[in-house]
Amino acid sequence: MTQEAVLQLEAVTKRYGDTEVVTSSSLAIGKGEVFTLLGPSGCGKTTTLRMVAGLEAPSGGRIIYEGKVMADPARGVFVPPHKRGMGMVFQSYAIWPHMTVFENIAYPLRLRGVAGDELRGRVEKVLDLVGMTALMDRPAPMLSGGQQQRVSLCRALVYEPDLLLLDEPFSNLDAKLRVQMRIEVGLLQRRLGFSVLFVTHDQIEALTLSDRIAVMSAGRIEQVGTPQEIYDHPASPFVRDFLGQTVLIRGTLAEGAEAGIPGVVVAGGAGEALCVVRAGNNALNGTTTGSAVSLSIRPEDVVLKRADQAAENSVLGLVESLVFVGDRIELQVTLQNGDAVLLNAPRSGGWAAGQTIRLECPVGRTFLWPA
Amino acid sequence: MAGLGEAEAVRAVPLWRRIEPRTLMFTLLFAVVALFVIYPLVQVVMQSFMVTRPGVLPVVWGFSGWEAIAENVGLQKAAWNTVKLTLARQFISLIGAVFIAWVLARTDVPGARYFEFAFWLAFFLPSLSITLSWILALEPQFGLFNQLLRGFEPGTGPFNIYSFWGIVWVHVMGTNLAIKVMILTPTFRNMNSALEDASRITGASNLRTTFKIFLPLMIPAILAVELLALLRSLEAFEIEQILGVPIGLFVFSTWIYDTINLPEPRFDAVGAIAVLIVVVATCLILIQRLIVRKNSHATLSGNFQSRLIRLGAWRWPVFGFLLLMVLVIIGVPLVFSLMGTFMKLFGFFTIADPWTTKHWMTAFNDRAIVQALKNTAVLAISTALIAVFLHSLIAYIIVRGKFFAKNAFDLLTWLPFTVPGILLSLGLLTLFLQPALRPIYGTMATLVIALVIAGMPFAVQLMKASLIQIGNELEEASWVAGGSWWRTYTRVVLPLISPSLVVIGLISFIAAARDISQVALLSNSKIRPLSMLQLEYMIESKYEVAAILATILMFFSVTLAVIARVFGYRGVRSS
Repeated sequence: MTQEAVLQLEAVTKRYGDTEVVTSSSLAIGKGEVFTLLGPSGCGKTTTLRMVAGLEAPSGGRIIYEGKVMADPARGVFVPPHKRGMGMVFQSYAIWPHMTVFENIAYPLRLRGVAGDELRGRVEKVLDLVGMTALMDRPAPMLSGGQQQRVSLCRALVYEPDLLLLDEPFSNLDAKLRVQMRIEVGLLQRRLGFSVLFVTHDQIEALTLSDRIAVMSAGRIEQVGTPQEIYDHPASPFVRDFLGQTVLIRGTLAEGAEAGIPGVVVAGGAGEALCVVRAGNNALNGTTTGSAVSLSIRPEDVVLKRADQAAENSVLGLVESLVFVGDRIELQVTLQNGDAVLLNAPRSGGWAAGQTIRLECPVGRTFLWPA
Repeated sequence: MAGLGEAEAVRAVPLWRRIEPRTLMFTLLFAVVALFVIYPLVQVVMQSFMVTRPGVLPVVWGFSGWEAIAENVGLQKAAWNTVKLTLARQFISLIGAVFIAWVLARTDVPGARYFEFAFWLAFFLPSLSITLSWILALEPQFGLFNQLLRGFEPGTGPFNIYSFWGIVWVHVMGTNLAIKVMILTPTFRNMNSALEDASRITGASNLRTTFKIFLPLMIPAILAVELLALLRSLEAFEIEQILGVPIGLFVFSTWIYDTINLPEPRFDAVGAIAVLIVVVATCLILIQRLIVRKNSHATLSGNFQSRLIRLGAWRWPVFGFLLLMVLVIIGVPLVFSLMGTFMKLFGFFTIADPWTTKHWMTAFNDRAIVQALKNTAVLAISTALIAVFLHSLIAYIIVRGKFFAKNAFDLLTWLPFTVPGILLSLGLLTLFLQPALRPIYGTMATLVIALVIAGMPFAVQLMKASLIQIGNELEEASWVAGGSWWRTYTRVVLPLISPSLVVIGLISFIAAARDISQVALLSNSKIRPLSMLQLEYMIESKYEVAAILATILMFFSVTLAVIARVFGYRGVRSS
């Protein structure tokens, strides 16, 4: 990957006074890759993006873009944003209200000495990509949110940068438009082949749009991987809980691993061991038998059965209530050990409150974590 | 790792190249502004400890100036007069303004918005023109109102404009009332009426609610306005010069003007008194800031649609009172100045055929007037252009520029606020008397510098407020798209704040055309603007020609003020 890396961050750190908002973050983005920084607000993802753009200066580390050092505070190197040649779409779109659509998009081209027919041709071409040629002479304040988003995208792409920076670009759109724009951006990227550094707190956006994702928390990169790797094999409890939903079953580490598979002992209210749920994966590191652990499984991997149906590797639970959420039913279930979990069931599942059900947890889908 | 290898080859950048040109430019600007703002103050302070005059070498140090304060009876009288005049007119105008602003903001008096606009307009009438009009109305012998009251019998009185109360009257009817109404009305209107409604629900009457809830809540706002007004009171100059000096009534500013114009000016004594005034002014401003900061919650901003108090039977009497006030505040200055220009002999209504257009015919052949008109045009245009460019850039540096001394810069722009006009004039005079700056002494540049500095506190505040409104991302988008800092500033930032730029331009233009105290000590016959010429004509009792200048300046100021309003200017704020 590094062979053809468009952008590299080496131990990049950002401090404001005594507060460290980004701690020694390293990553490399390949050519044509869509790379996402995902995390809750305040995790440092936007600051990282702004350092790449040159809108913030890093306090330490290096940023290298297309083989050139953009920022290296130790050597006093800092390339200002207007000399970096990246494209960026801002959260607020930042469409200049005193210019028309055409003027907004022509601005970066004019800065690069493009004029006359070529200027017009290139603006038209890029507007054509998003189907907005007809609105070329419209004043910017008279655009809808989705149109502003497209103009912003055009303005960032018109000078054909190799790297496009997207700062929460969909967060101001309504739900339907958000999906549509996500698809449009994805198609454009595949068609034009630029690399993307995408910042979002929305896991669906991250999972659907990215080639790779870096999950950030408290200024640190917790895990880097493809969407599936991260979803299926989270490297930390933070990543596990941030991405998707999780069913957690707490207990103690089972004695004597059965066929080399460790498990969690589910105990009743009086402390009596009721059953053992085995886990095919684990993040335990030398944890001794009997110490507190928890088992995780994605709710969609849990197979719901009636209590009297036999099942491997299962635990019993009581349905406390059912919540209708439209396309499915959410079951609030209390397990034998008192843990409350949330499960999804199809609308036609036929479950009822007060019913005892069996939760079958396929061994390959379960994970053991230190408590 | 090809990319990395290449990157490795980058050498460390030498320190001098790490400094951006932008930072260099900001620093230079900071230094120049500091020179013209701080140095005059320092000069005045030093002057108070010098026995010799500014620019005279070798300097002899001593306490003669400070001793003069203790010994000079004239100065002490001037100090006492300043205090008395200030208290009298501030007391009257405060009571009046609180009442008028309350009526305009909180009651259903008809035409409240029009009255508010009228008071806003009154703020832009030049003091000197107002003074001239009131002379024509209330001069003891020929004043029209006096003649009417006497039934056109010869004699004097009953009113005399050349008196303590005459000065108070012109001040109150001039800008004192207008500025307070202008600031207080929006503040009163923005108060959340839920607080009052809560009082009424419990059974309190409207009147009781006003006195028990509304006024106590508004006291911080009223105090803040009053302190600003007190500060401006120290600045009062031209009204006292015209109405006070002939009867031997001096205040600080006229005493300083008088002393500087003596054959042997006592710069030491003037310096000492200037230091005292600046200290008082600084205290006032600090208290004002403290009140505003501590009580920012009291005037709940926002768009509350306040429920208006019904005046009932009082509705039309109150309307009548407001109408009368507007006639007195705006009608008298406009009508009497214009009338004066057509009088054969200013104030002599009873002579046969008192009217003539002669003055208008000859005025534009008068070389002094034509020169003054040209001077004013040059002065006002240069001041406006420089103010627009400089103040917007300074505001940008304070709000957005990544500049190491931006807090110091912010403070610097506030500083001229504590320096009354005549002292700014004095400070710059002593600065320009220094050998190094002698070449520009006596040129138009000195007047432009004085007016640009005087306008700085207000203009920078307004630009700052305007800049804060534009999102950072609009600017950042330009940088990322490849725009340099300068390109972004001129192509994105300035166009976005252009309405405020127009307002600053117009306000600076008006100020340059009419303000007197800031330029009084720097002007000479070659660079004398219309306003100074008018002052001189009035001192020489050439009222007919003075009326022409007054009329020109007044209609001109009002027109530009209305244009500024169209561009969104709503007036000064106490915070």
